[in-house]
Amino acid sequence: MATKLNLIEALEISRKPVAQDAKLLRVFLGCGFTPLHLQNFLSAHLRQLFPENRIKINTGLFGDLAGSLERLDAQGLDGLVVALEWPDLDSRLGIRELGGWQVSDVHEVASSVDLQLSRLQRALKTAARSAPVVLSLPTIPLPPLFYTPPNTNSAEKTKLFLSLAKFAADLSEEPSMRILDSQALDSVSPAAARFDIKSEILSGFPYKLPHASALAQSMASLLQARSPQKGLITDLDDTLWSGILGEVGVDGVNWSLEHHSHIHGLYQQFLSSLASAGVLVGVASKNDAALVQQAFDRKDLLLKKDKVFPFEVHWHRKSDSVQRILKSWNIGPEAVVFIDDSPMEAAEVKAAFPTMECLVFKKDDYQAVWDLLANLRASFGKTAISQEDAIRLESLRSAAPLLDALGQDGNASDEFLKRADAFVSFDFTKRPKDGRAFELVNKTNQFNLNGKRFSESEWNKFLADPASFLVTVTYQDKYGPLGKVAVVLGKVNEKKVHVVAWVMSCRAFSRRIEHHSLKRIFEKFDANEAVFDFQPTERNGPTQDFFLELAGEPPRPGLKISRVAFLEKAPPLFHRVEGS
Amino acid sequence: MPELDDRLTRCFASVFPAVPPDQIHAASVESVPAWDSLAAVTLIAVLEQEFDTQIDLMELPELTSYQSVRDYLQRQTK
Repeated sequence: MATKLNLIEALEISRKPVAQDAKLLRVFLGCGFTPLHLQNFLSAHLRQLFPENRIKINTGLFGDLAGSLERLDAQGLDGLVVALEWPDLDSRLGIRELGGWQVSDVHEVASSVDLQLSRLQRALKTAARSAPVVLSLPTIPLPPLFYTPPNTNSAEKTKLFLSLAKFAADLSEEPSMRILDSQALDSVSPAAARFDIKSEILSGFPYKLPHASALAQSMASLLQARSPQKGLITDLDDTLWSGILGEVGVDGVNWSLEHHSHIHGLYQQFLSSLASAGVLVGVASKNDAALVQQAFDRKDLLLKKDKVFPFEVHWHRKSDSVQRILKSWNIGPEAVVFIDDSPMEAAEVKAAFPTMECLVFKKDDYQAVWDLLANLRASFGKTAISQEDAIRLESLRSAAPLLDALGQDGNASDEFLKRADAFVSFDFTKRPKDGRAFELVNKTNQFNLNGKRFSESEWNKFLADPASFLVTVTYQDKYGPLGKVAVVLGKVNEKKVHVVAWVMSCRAFSRRIEHHSLKRIFEKFDANEAVFDFQPTERNGPTQDFFLELAGEPPRPGLKISRVAFLEKAPPLFHRVEGS
Repeated sequence: MPELDDRLTRCFASVFPAVPPDQIHAASVESVPAWDSLAAVTLIAVLEQEFDTQIDLMELPELTSYQSVRDYLQRQTK
């Protein structure tokens, strides 16, 4: 994780050489003040977060944030970072213009602020259609223009904050908008140590340097938008609840205020919250399985049984349990967090899965547990809940019969697939704002043509090309819906299809969805050949196996498959098809 | 005062990366084209943070070379 920098470090980092052919990361920094050190810090923090990129930051006109944003063409930008401050809403809320702190001004400021917020809102929404937008709301204190004492929240001041809150609430509905949480900023930059009046008056830069660094770091990390972790495996005794189930019995374990074990109740509530947001929650416990089932039947348990899958409850090694859970979830250890009250168990799992985050639940240290919950939210937090989040657990649970039916080669039999009563739909509509398609391309590893990731601007630019196509594949069978599980991105030139990106969720393996996707693409574009931007990666073994099966040899970059050859090699497909 | 020179050289190098290391001690407003008002503000901010000092506003017009900045800082630390 990046740390707060001083200015000299920031300048040195920004000026470190990068490769000539390094990819350019184009960012617009919008602010009404002189960008000065904020620009330097932003550049440095972006360099730390995107070490392979060359960073180019453009800025707008001094004192005219709304105008700069209105004139901005965000096409081709990789991000827009906006540091809004009070003077951007009305110059009387700043100190660089004189003559406006009369009582009559105070009444008038509110309506003028509303007008300016409307302007900013329109401009930011327009920009957010083309590039991700990071916005920080005013971070420096209001000047002493209000007639009430500073510790009194007057009606005018309250209206001002209300207008700002409405502005932020409306913008936060935009998928590409990321608004910096003011409490998160408070924790790294104390409010009273932000404003530098000398610098504001002399150079038009309002921030003390530590605040400029903290703000830049926070906004840069929002622009980075890391993929959240996917699964959490928890221990039970002295973790999910207080007490050893085998010793005190089902009614003896507790998580309440009166037993001084409320911290376990908070943990249960938190895991239930994660599960409701689509995070997979599994249990690995050395315990008596029958007792655990009874404990999960307790009505007062806050993490309900149906929110957990799978339960690995026995006396074998924890790492064996974790291995089986990963197999059920079909995800890698790097996407999972393991939690246990025993440092030894956490170490044993860590030794078996070095890329997994293994944390100790320190039940007697309330602050440590509180910090753990905050850190877990940081790891699992997502900007929006998708339909797939809602059905993920159910679709995994329902996939159990399929996993059982898989043969040694990992393939299900024709008979099983025939009876699965599956239907698949192919949507060829190019929707740049389809967050699920974008997310799948940027987080899928195993069935992934080449590991290529897209920035939002690259994604939008590709889809704007008239020759490009986007196929989004949705699947359902009698065991339940899987939702949108695959995405193919490419271009068509006469009778040739050029596939640039192709991913499929690991939840959808072994159902021949990939075969049907390719078949449908050949049909849709009446193509007789497909060329693939294939690249081997450390983790795309399933993709390599797929092409090996079709082509009869290990795939190479530029792989070509003719429609005739594909139809000869493709296995029988039993899905019903919907869609264009 | 080699320590002062080391720290000051680092400050100048961070603000004026185009100036070769062996010419930093001779740097001045006249010899460094990049030494404009914006660079001057950045240099002052870097110096204030590096040396944990507040530079007197009245002194700013005099701080136009490496040597003048060095002399100023030396006076401050006495």
